[in-house]
Amino acid sequence: MFKESNIRKPLILGHKTYHDITNDIVSPIEGPAPKQWKIAFTIALIVALYGIGCIMYLVGVGIGSWGLNKTVGWAWDITNFVWWVGIGHAGTLISAVLLLFRQRWRMAINRSAEAMTIFAVIMAAIFPVFHMGRVWLAYWTLPLPNQFGSLWPNFNSALMWDVFAISTYFSVSLVFWYIGLIPDFATIRDRMTKPKMKKIYSILSFGWSGRAKHWTRFEEVSLVLAGIATPLVFSVHSIVSMDFATSIVPGWHTTIFPPYFVSGAIFSGFAMVQTLLLIMRKTMKLEAYIHLKHIEYMNIVIIVTGSIVGVAYLTELFISDYSGVQYESYAFINRFSGPLAWSYWCMMTCNVISPQLFWFKKLRTNLGVTFFMSIIVNIGMWFERFVIIVTSIHRDYVPAAWGEFKASTIDIGMFIGTIGIFFTLFLLFARYFPVLALNELKTILKTSGESYKNENKH
Amino acid sequence: MGSNKKYWSSIDELQNTTAAQEALGSEFTRSGEQSVEAFLSDSKLNESNTGRRDFLKFMGFGLTAATLAACETPVVKIIPYVTKPEEITPGIANFYASTYYDGTDYGNLLVKTREGRPTFIKGNKNFGIAGGGLNSRMNASVLGLYDSARLKGPKKGSADIDWSGLDTEMKAALASAASIRIVSNTVISPSTQRAINELSAKYAGKVNHVQYDAVSYAGLAKANGGAVPFYDFSKAKTIVSIAADFLGSWVMPAAFTSQYAQTRKPENGWLSKHYQFESNMSLTGSNSDHRTPIRPSQEGLVAAALYSAITGGTPVSVEGADTSIKRAADDLKANAGASLVVAGSNDPQIQTIVAAINSVLGNVGVTVDTSNSLNLFKGQDDQMSKLVDEMNNGSVDVLIVYGTNPAYSWIEGDKFVAGLQKVKTSVCFNLFADETGSRCTYMAPDNHYLESWNDYSPVKGRTDLAQPTISPLYNTRYAQESMLRWADNGATYYDYIRQTHNGAYSATMMKTDSSWNTAVHNGTFAGTVTEVAAPVETQAAPVMMQAAPLNVNDAINYVSSIKGGEWELSLYQKVTMGAGNHANNPMLHETPDPITKVTWDNYVTMSPADMKEMGLETYIGQCDCASLVKVTVGDKSLVLPAYPTPGQKSRTIGIALGYGRGAGNEEIGKAAYQTGREGVHLMDGDKRQTIGKNAFPLASISNGVINYTVSSVGVAQEAGTYAIATTQMHSTVMGRDSVVKETTISTFLKEKDKKKGEASYNKAVTLPVHADVNKDGSIDVNDRQHINEVDLWREHPVEGVGHRWGLTIDLTSCFGCGACITACHTENNVPVVGKDEVLRHRDMHWLRIDRYSSSAQDTLKETKEANNVGTIEAYRLMESPEDNPQTVHMPMMCQHCNHAPCETVCPVAATVHSNEGLNNMAYNRCIGTRYCANNCPYKVRRFNWFNYVTNDKFAMVNPAQDDQLRWVLNPDVTVRTRGVMEKCSMCQQRIQAGKTEAKRNGTIVLDGNIQTACAEACPTNAIVFGDLNDKTSMNTKRSESVRSYHALEEVGIKPNIFYMTKVRNIEESEA
Repeated sequence: MFKESNIRKPLILGHKTYHDITNDIVSPIEGPAPKQWKIAFTIALIVALYGIGCIMYLVGVGIGSWGLNKTVGWAWDITNFVWWVGIGHAGTLISAVLLLFRQRWRMAINRSAEAMTIFAVIMAAIFPVFHMGRVWLAYWTLPLPNQFGSLWPNFNSALMWDVFAISTYFSVSLVFWYIGLIPDFATIRDRMTKPKMKKIYSILSFGWSGRAKHWTRFEEVSLVLAGIATPLVFSVHSIVSMDFATSIVPGWHTTIFPPYFVSGAIFSGFAMVQTLLLIMRKTMKLEAYIHLKHIEYMNIVIIVTGSIVGVAYLTELFISDYSGVQYESYAFINRFSGPLAWSYWCMMTCNVISPQLFWFKKLRTNLGVTFFMSIIVNIGMWFERFVIIVTSIHRDYVPAAWGEFKASTIDIGMFIGTIGIFFTLFLLFARYFPVLALNELKTILKTSGESYKNENKH
Repeated sequence: MGSNKKYWSSIDELQNTTAAQEALGSEFTRSGEQSVEAFLSDSKLNESNTGRRDFLKFMGFGLTAATLAACETPVVKIIPYVTKPEEITPGIANFYASTYYDGTDYGNLLVKTREGRPTFIKGNKNFGIAGGGLNSRMNASVLGLYDSARLKGPKKGSADIDWSGLDTEMKAALASAASIRIVSNTVISPSTQRAINELSAKYAGKVNHVQYDAVSYAGLAKANGGAVPFYDFSKAKTIVSIAADFLGSWVMPAAFTSQYAQTRKPENGWLSKHYQFESNMSLTGSNSDHRTPIRPSQEGLVAAALYSAITGGTPVSVEGADTSIKRAADDLKANAGASLVVAGSNDPQIQTIVAAINSVLGNVGVTVDTSNSLNLFKGQDDQMSKLVDEMNNGSVDVLIVYGTNPAYSWIEGDKFVAGLQKVKTSVCFNLFADETGSRCTYMAPDNHYLESWNDYSPVKGRTDLAQPTISPLYNTRYAQESMLRWADNGATYYDYIRQTHNGAYSATMMKTDSSWNTAVHNGTFAGTVTEVAAPVETQAAPVMMQAAPLNVNDAINYVSSIKGGEWELSLYQKVTMGAGNHANNPMLHETPDPITKVTWDNYVTMSPADMKEMGLETYIGQCDCASLVKVTVGDKSLVLPAYPTPGQKSRTIGIALGYGRGAGNEEIGKAAYQTGREGVHLMDGDKRQTIGKNAFPLASISNGVINYTVSSVGVAQEAGTYAIATTQMHSTVMGRDSVVKETTISTFLKEKDKKKGEASYNKAVTLPVHADVNKDGSIDVNDRQHINEVDLWREHPVEGVGHRWGLTIDLTSCFGCGACITACHTENNVPVVGKDEVLRHRDMHWLRIDRYSSSAQDTLKETKEANNVGTIEAYRLMESPEDNPQTVHMPMMCQHCNHAPCETVCPVAATVHSNEGLNNMAYNRCIGTRYCANNCPYKVRRFNWFNYVTNDKFAMVNPAQDDQLRWVLNPDVTVRTRGVMEKCSMCQQRIQAGKTEAKRNGTIVLDGNIQTACAEACPTNAIVFGDLNDKTSMNTKRSESVRSYHALEEVGIKPNIFYMTKVRNIEESEA
């Protein structure tokens, strides 16, 4: 059996037995919904419905209900898209990459991080779909057999690549997440007393019996899927970044975009995981499983990726000037000194300066600071995409065509709405799904549980 | 097969019942009806007055009459012709020569009709006056034909009346009247004049005909012997204009634009030198080589100073303009006999000095033609003034208003309206129930000019014809016929016109009078023409004209005494709105002003420095509204938004005339009023808000003529803000030398023989490559290749294969008039989106004209050095234009790049390259991701944000939403649906038609046989369309010229549109 060094801090605090773990995770599902959940769910649902209303208005009336114009053809739509996709990165990174690196601390957080990924990707998909002028023809982006003289989509277009990248990422993440859920669903099924719920969970658990054979297969599939998912973590955002990098717009046409976008995505993804987990551990009393060690680790990831992003920002600035291309150079000068400079400085403060505070151990182990910072980072990352998209195109090559952008209420409503839909889905997940990978967690209880480690000291 | 079979029509007949036998006797068997025999044998029938034979006659006549009447009923359903009219082939356009005249604009047209429906207007370049160029007002005037606000028939007050009733009542009123007054714009139609004369003769001694022009040139006429001379700018090597906007609004701007362009072709080896002295930045000023801002009160002084400098008289000093005047005078003297001085002022004294200058320089007979002077603009302001007084005295019994709208455009409109109440009977021929018409006793709507025959004599010795292109849409009648009816003449106006030109005319001459047929075909008479003068007795001699001719020295003394106040105002006309005749034309409202790029409004133009000093908003955008200012002239005041206009002389302001139509909520059309965010009219109490404000009342009469400058006005900030919709937010070119290229004439001539890409002002863009391309044995920085040779993509096989369509656009002869914008708009069914959408930067123009004003220094480096600042601050400084900037007008449309960035990014391949070099847009395939628009460096792609054809927001403005106005849509071009991208197609439909035509004729496509709408509309041939693979085409030659370049060449996208460097006639040191 794997033995963990005593110097390492335990991953599961207190004295927990296998039964305790099961109880801690499954009992909230079995009991009635707590009042807090009901309140939160109602709020999220109202916001979600408002967002859906905005989407219906958009489809009914036209893209003109957004604030876009002849110069700025993308603004909040693609900003929100990239922002949500970015958030959707942490889950797969945690479950796949950290699995391959055998980072056991991931087990406490991977389930909810993956759920977050799935929901965030769904939110992300809303924007490129509904940003189309004729959304009812969205299926034309797929290479389907057709009668238009067998007309293919344009494989040169980065938007096409997006379609494949996002749909692949979404399906792999979904499968990966679901495979992980199967043993836990089985546990719920076994404990469930209400017949209807038992039936549902038994369907969801695909007849899992917990036999050694099942576990072997489970492990194998997880590894294989982790292998498939790992490159996707890097490819998705690389491809999203190519929407910009393959264009000729100064400020978009940048070769460093792929790594820069990926690290930005991980950065924002971890921040979102922090936001969600800090709330969840408190309300669902999971302090024993998700504790300072996890949070500190994630904060460290945030410093690292935040710093990469910061370096990328400075590199861009330097290269724009060094290139000697007047359009390129002006695009960046305009970013930090033009009419939208406030968004640039907002981005710089939130993304580059604030994460550096995590160098102080006191701050990175402080829950309040972490929560606050996780929000700041996500605000910053939203602005990063806004800065890249809007400040680049609002003043590009021909000065007579320079314009400005003002968001409409539908722009704002749709963005807020997706946050509502996201939280609606996440709250449903927290209510009906095992929020921690309880069966996986049990595998490390004896090696990394606090009480067991203390016993083993002798 | 012989048949003995018998058929029965009923069982009764088979059984041969009595009823059946009875029925056999009567032809019609239905019970209850009388048989014909029974009816005819009715003994009482004889008692009726109508005998049987008469009855049948009536029946026959009635049937024939009904049939004939039915022939004239317009066909409302699409049905195929049973018998195809000889000249109409469905799908093939017909062109008819005609003429436009509305009191302000005059132009010779070719009207394009499709299946009998006029849809497009272009200039008659073969036979038109001075090259037949049109301005945007004239080519957008086709919308006026289908205007659903037009009067549908004669009216008495607000009630309908029939024509015969109107005639009876009018004749009674005329017969009992003691004084009859006709007020009209300048009548230049000989036949109309005849009709007026006939009416005058019928009521001899009572009639007085008063002509006045909405924008008066009486002062100019007075100083030139009673008529406005005809000018020829094409012969002028030095042009000095003192506040005359001859390219935009002065006298005959369309003709002058064509003439002026002939002096702006650097390939000729010379350019005219154009000095402009003015307070507002006019279109003309923006094209001048040397512009000097002056105050309106200095206009006379500048003329005086020029006169004395040329004649060597006592020097006159003009503050701030002395050096310019000296240079201008020297140039004028050097080009004596081939120069021209014009002034925009309506002051006869100033015009006297100008006329004297031209005379001293020997320009008369060369550039100033006083012998063939204009018949246009013969209006008499003092007479009109007198008429208004008469009306107010109650001494006018009948007032006939023809072709003018004094309640709006007369400077004392209120007084006219008050006088109109005291006139016993008034009748107005206007097409709308407008400010004047709605207040008259009767409205007897004239036909639209596209429904009418007419003849015009714009210049002495020239007569043009207008012919109808559609039968009248509504129950309207020629105004001339109305007047003839009231003079008891029953002639049709067509016959009347023919009689005017041929006294021996008879109705059988249709086929034999070949001179007439040729004239109709050409739109103008060749050879001698008939002039019809007004009888002296109907035309009370104008007070002003009776005075002795003015003396130059007196005039100089007079102008020296003109004093200006702290703020001065100069009223001007916009290229789009003119004098306000097209108030209900949404397309013209949406066409941006060439200088300010503002749509849908008039405003106060102010110098940015003054505005900053007064604390007014100088950055105007979607969220940044303009500040309001109150302009006070005497007891009148207007509150208007202030718009920063570089080039405006400090402490002077300008306000455009022609706005504020329909202040009394008249039915002049839904596009004439402001619409808000929801697409409904904005209300001012119970009245709809006008678009802009009427500035005519700010003008005043002095010395018997209207003065459009005000030497002392009050300008004060007013609380509140006002949103202004502009299509261009940024004015300067930011040192981007590959967007606009400029040089001076001396540099151009020096490097004339260089190859393309080698001239100092137009260097080809090269890239350093890692290969020994210069064969010097080493790979170093000198190894450079032309940008077009370095390529990531496969070449599109367009060069040298088949056709390769392209445009060349000469920035030297593009003056920014905007005729191409309206032509493109009508040709391509471009939606009109209204002010609120333009405010959101969503105008749909496929073709726009970018206007760049120079900043104090041209490049970043110079800015940094001159101001001793860093890059960031330098860019900030470059964003503001200098006080008196040089201007470039750059038409910008899809560049049809051979390596189009839009094509690679479309996920569904909706925009693809044709093998003829066109960037095609397949609307049906577009899903609307807008990626192409983002990736277009020229930002020329336009997205259909809404369904402009059905969305209520556009009900008031978009022609496609009006049941009548949608007839103007070009059937060859799809009306795009919501959610798709659109852009310039290089008039694909015309290319296709041209190729089909060539194929049918079995020839190749000849150069010039296909024209895009913009190239066709361009009065200066700045835009030329042609096949770049045809090595002999004009377009190819221009594209290979040393001046030609691609905008943003370094991006490497290989456009098929070439620009030609702007050449200015300035010294190298001023460049």
